[in-house]
Amino acid sequence: MAATSDYVTLVSSDDYHFVVQRSSACISPAVKRMLDPMNGFLEAKTNTVRFDTINAMVLEKVCEYFYYSEKNESARDVADLDFPTELCLELLMAADYLDI
Amino acid sequence: MSGRRGVNTVRGPQSALTSFLAANNISAAQIAEDYRRRRAADPGEGPSTAAPTQDQDEALAAAAQAEEDEKKTKKRKRKEEDAIDEIKKAKKAKGGKAADKKEKANAKKKAKKANPDLDDSDEEDYDIDYKKAKPAPGQFEHCESCNKRFTVTPYSKEGPDGGLLCTPCGKEMTKDLKKEQKALQPKAAAGKRRRKVESEKLDGVSTGGAKSLVQLCLQRVAQHHDDVEELGDLPPKLLERLSEIFSKKRVMKPKTLPLFLRPDLDSVVVHDAAYLEEEDYLQMFSVVPNMKKLVLSNTCQLKDKSMDYMLERCHELRHIALYAANLVSEEMWHRLFREAGAKLEVIKLKWLDAAFEDEAVRDMVNCCPNLERLKLKLCRRIGQDSIDSIAELPALQHLTLHIGREVSNDALINLIEKRGSLLETLSLEKFLDADDAVVEAIHDNCNRLSKLRLSENDTITDAGFTALFDNWSNPPLTFADFNSTRDVDNNNPTGPEEAVGLASSGFAALMAHSGPSLKHLDIASCRFIELSAFCDVFNGAQSYPALEYINISFCNKVDTSVVAGIFQSCPKLKSLVAFGCFDVDNVVVPRSIALIGVPRAQDAIIQQGMGIDVDEAVGRMVEVGA
Repeated sequence: MAATSDYVTLVSSDDYHFVVQRSSACISPAVKRMLDPMNGFLEAKTNTVRFDTINAMVLEKVCEYFYYSEKNESARDVADLDFPTELCLELLMAADYLDI
Repeated sequence: MSGRRGVNTVRGPQSALTSFLAANNISAAQIAEDYRRRRAADPGEGPSTAAPTQDQDEALAAAAQAEEDEKKTKKRKRKEEDAIDEIKKAKKAKGGKAADKKEKANAKKKAKKANPDLDDSDEEDYDIDYKKAKPAPGQFEHCESCNKRFTVTPYSKEGPDGGLLCTPCGKEMTKDLKKEQKALQPKAAAGKRRRKVESEKLDGVSTGGAKSLVQLCLQRVAQHHDDVEELGDLPPKLLERLSEIFSKKRVMKPKTLPLFLRPDLDSVVVHDAAYLEEEDYLQMFSVVPNMKKLVLSNTCQLKDKSMDYMLERCHELRHIALYAANLVSEEMWHRLFREAGAKLEVIKLKWLDAAFEDEAVRDMVNCCPNLERLKLKLCRRIGQDSIDSIAELPALQHLTLHIGREVSNDALINLIEKRGSLLETLSLEKFLDADDAVVEAIHDNCNRLSKLRLSENDTITDAGFTALFDNWSNPPLTFADFNSTRDVDNNNPTGPEEAVGLASSGFAALMAHSGPSLKHLDIASCRFIELSAFCDVFNGAQSYPALEYINISFCNKVDTSVVAGIFQSCPKLKSLVAFGCFDVDNVVVPRSIALIGVPRAQDAIIQQGMGIDVDEAVGRMVEVGA
């Protein structure tokens, strides 16, 4: 693996691995700081971030949001991202934690 | 009447009953015919509507037993026939024009059958499709689409070709119809979506691009507010945002209030408590006894009993904001200050019409030595005495006043002289008679102000404002609001010789003094500021690094070059509000700036910045202008 690879891995609390583009994951300032090689965190060295408070279903939606957000950065009148209502509160907590 | 031939037979006036019967395909001749038939088949019938007397005699003469039995069977059959007629009528109602035409043709046919003398040689006769009569409920019929045998009910659906459908096929057909209708909906929904997008931009929720995930989730929760049972461990900040959204959607009701009450919280913020009643307030104070901050807006139903309970339970209150608490009595206000006043640091009261007199303010000043923030707006019963009392508050740092009654300038000057040195915020709204001496007092006594508002005034002159900002020992302001400071005289639209209100030199002095750190500038309705002053201030070369919000509504001397200058001079600008500036047009808005209120027929009220930056935008504007 190169020093700053193009893809990073996000791991949920129930051990599901999600491989996403670094640029998309860094939409979240929290993830960006964790992966910044300057800060010298373990996450930056292994290009992997583990979230013990976020389960796989929520993390999957978060990854979807990363791509949705990056794709629609400069667009106008974008449609809202759809997600199942049951996931709503957990997704809200995760979104607040990740500051997205 | 025989001998009626020809196409256009003229009919004489008919009674309303006859027309009605004809319209519903009830032919009097047919009824008479049916009756005669029935009488011929079964003598001794029960009461009937058109029975001639001789038949009744016959019925009476017949055996009573046989009569009874036959009556019952007759009634049953008649009920069935009535039911069939009802269904036929209902089916006709659904049928529409084509069916009506067929009915008329059928009616004519029946009439013709009953009275063969009638010879209507209308063209309509030739247009009739010969339709098989619909079977009555209870009878069997083959489904039109799947050809299965099923029992006809009053609810059997009609197929596209006029035949009946079995139940499953009928259900499918209604489902298909509903889908078609939904497909036609987007036309109305598209207009609604546009409005929603504009509304969100005005609220600052979406500034182009995708919404934040937090915002999306909050919206979804608010949408399903009925189904949410518990909000779990949401952090207080999110809880407050959610309560704001609930209040905005007017769903902050007794049912949803408990979602926001947790024993570990130290603040309760409800921006719309209009639906909450006494039990809800009692619940609020009992579940969250350690609250330090209480914000209740539109608390029309807050009464003495709830306040009493609050004083009993909540001993940690530091921040109280009660808007429109008009059912609280005067004594209760006194009690509030006496019992909870010692710890209070923030008091914000708005819209008090019925109680809250000058004496209450005096009590407040005496009992609340730690008061740092005071906001008293639109409290009808307080006046000059309150100003004198407030002047004695030792720790006051932020003061907002909007008092309806007459207040002398001396009282204001006294207040500013006593408290000015500590004040960081001063907001005096709608003190119409405040004059230059007041402004001079601000200049002399205030040197820690960061937020200054002097709005809706027509006495202070431009010279007064200039004197305020020239050589002022106060560091640059971050928030300046001088809206509606101008001379209001219908007989003199160009204003007096000596400018009244914030005008060119005052504006220039303001920007010269506070330019470096000003974040929020509001000079709406200062219509005597000249174009030259605007151009000097926003000339593109001068930079205002912190300015994020500008409101120049109704400054009608503003034109496009000023707007271009603003874009260039204010790198951090987020929104520019310019209602009523009619010389502004052909604006090309750069990225991440929202231009609100510039009128152009094709454009929306808000023009969101496209993905170009300032220089390009200005360049394009200059091109267009040239």
